[in-house]
Amino acid sequence: MAGKTVEREGTPRFSLDRIPVDTETLLGIGTIIPVILLYLIISIIPVGFAVWASLHEIPLLNPEWTWTGAGNYAEVFRVERFWGALGRGVVFMIGSTLLQLVVGLWMALTLNRITRGQRIITAVVFTAYLIPTVVVSLLALFMFDTFYGVFHVMGAEWLGIWGAQEFALGQTDLAMPILIIVGSWKFSVFITIFTLAQLRSIPQRFYEAAKVCGANKWDMFRDVTLPRIQGVILVAVLLRSIFMFNKFDLIWILTQGGPGYATTTLPVLAYREAFEASNYGLANAMAVVMFLFLAAGGIAYFKAFNPSDEVET
Amino acid sequence: MSTDTDYDDIRGVFGIDFRTADKLYQGLLLASAAFFFVLIMFPIYWMLQSSLKTREARRAVTWLPSAESLTFEHYDVLFSSDVGLYLFNSAVVTLGTIVCVVAVSLVAGYGLARLNFGHKENFARFLLFGYMFSPIVLGLPLYLIWQEIGLLNTRVGLIIALTAISMPFSVWLMWKYIQTIPEAMEESAWVAGASRWQAFRDVIIPQTQPAIIAAALFAFALAWNDFTFAQILLPRNEATTFAPGIFRLINQGYGAPWGDALAASMLTTVPPLLFAYFLQSYLLKGFQIRSL
Repeated sequence: MAGKTVEREGTPRFSLDRIPVDTETLLGIGTIIPVILLYLIISIIPVGFAVWASLHEIPLLNPEWTWTGAGNYAEVFRVERFWGALGRGVVFMIGSTLLQLVVGLWMALTLNRITRGQRIITAVVFTAYLIPTVVVSLLALFMFDTFYGVFHVMGAEWLGIWGAQEFALGQTDLAMPILIIVGSWKFSVFITIFTLAQLRSIPQRFYEAAKVCGANKWDMFRDVTLPRIQGVILVAVLLRSIFMFNKFDLIWILTQGGPGYATTTLPVLAYREAFEASNYGLANAMAVVMFLFLAAGGIAYFKAFNPSDEVET
Repeated sequence: MSTDTDYDDIRGVFGIDFRTADKLYQGLLLASAAFFFVLIMFPIYWMLQSSLKTREARRAVTWLPSAESLTFEHYDVLFSSDVGLYLFNSAVVTLGTIVCVVAVSLVAGYGLARLNFGHKENFARFLLFGYMFSPIVLGLPLYLIWQEIGLLNTRVGLIIALTAISMPFSVWLMWKYIQTIPEAMEESAWVAGASRWQAFRDVIIPQTQPAIIAAALFAFALAWNDFTFAQILLPRNEATTFAPGIFRLINQGYGAPWGDALAASMLTTVPPLLFAYFLQSYLLKGFQIRSL
């Protein structure tokens, strides 16, 4: 019996000992090769291409590339509309993320504590995240329509926020807030899912212990719940900020960056620059600069909050 | 805390006594739940009831289609026009993406969690860096590359692109999830004579089921949702998926077929509703991640 065990254990250990590091490293790298390949094709090569293109003068329909070196970059920083788009992008990003954080967190806390109908309400909330953005955007267009939009009736006729003949998304001062609200309808749920998953993993005994010690609901939230969800909130906020900063489809479908330039954020500006102004090189230079700003912001965020800190439950 | 404290001595929030605070809390909870339910359901309900109205009836804002304006004619789009094709393409692309994402991320997640090799953490972080690129930045060069290798206008091309986009997150999810499975379970399989592959197939895969479903759901959310890549990589009308297709339908000018668009949108909302209802626990279970 004992001899058998030794033999069984001995055989694989023997073969592993012969080539100990190599097999495991090879196998390990083998497992991530598909990931590396995909990442190379979809991210690295296009980004390299974009950087290369950003150094050229490229009229869209003309295959001739003219080398301009850093000329496009100099122009990016010189043109007024770049800084305007950057500012609007930051407003859109911060406004969206803040609204989504508040609503998403509130939804998560509600869903976590509700007892009746929890499953159905959770399902309804999660649905908002799974519905395609194009459906959300088209539905918003339909509901703000001046002829038969229900939100138009509410906003213009009941509340009088905008005129009865005016299209809400065509108002310079209203377009951006409406974009933020429509986007947050869908994307708040991202924060909810992140947070709710974490809330569900907090053992009930922590709350019972807190209750025995005389803690009220607010004390419990501050001392039991918050320390356990703040790590995940920091991660979710980072991801949401990045996604909102890069958001293109929602804005493009709802306003095409208009009215004028009122909702033209950086991705929309890059797209307009490439296809409306036919300036592919400059568009790519904008995209690269946009990425650099985002990377700098991300690194600063990491340094300031360090979302890597794990909280043990 | 002394044991002889009176119940009423303990003060709740803002010094309200506990019973009132509790009632207030319950009321607030119910109100919030009702508010969110209405907030999310109202647009979906509006889409449903508008898609059941005739064109004339949609001009007036009413809460229900009246008996004479109730119609199912818009749902014929599924069979009669391009919309059915768009939906079919979307379904194929979504399914393909889910299968690819799960396969790739499961293998890579296992490798990252169980095998020792250098720079694993750096690799995983580097992957997440990919999310910093706007789809616009990636899509424009991809158009030229896909054209070069003949993947433009093919569903496979879009599947590859979408797999790569949703992959970093699923790899990360699998990695963190497999780490929570005790290594001893695998070791006992090895002791019983299983090879690494057998142990992976019979021990790890069944154990990882919640993460697999979560990764599949997120791949679904991404592929079903995708507009930008499909718009750029599938320019031909008969090859395109739902999102760009429906956008073209609406943007074709005056007399946009809102009825058809709303009916089609309603159809794309059904799978999300079903998944959200039946798979919500998996979504949450697979999503218990604490750090980057």
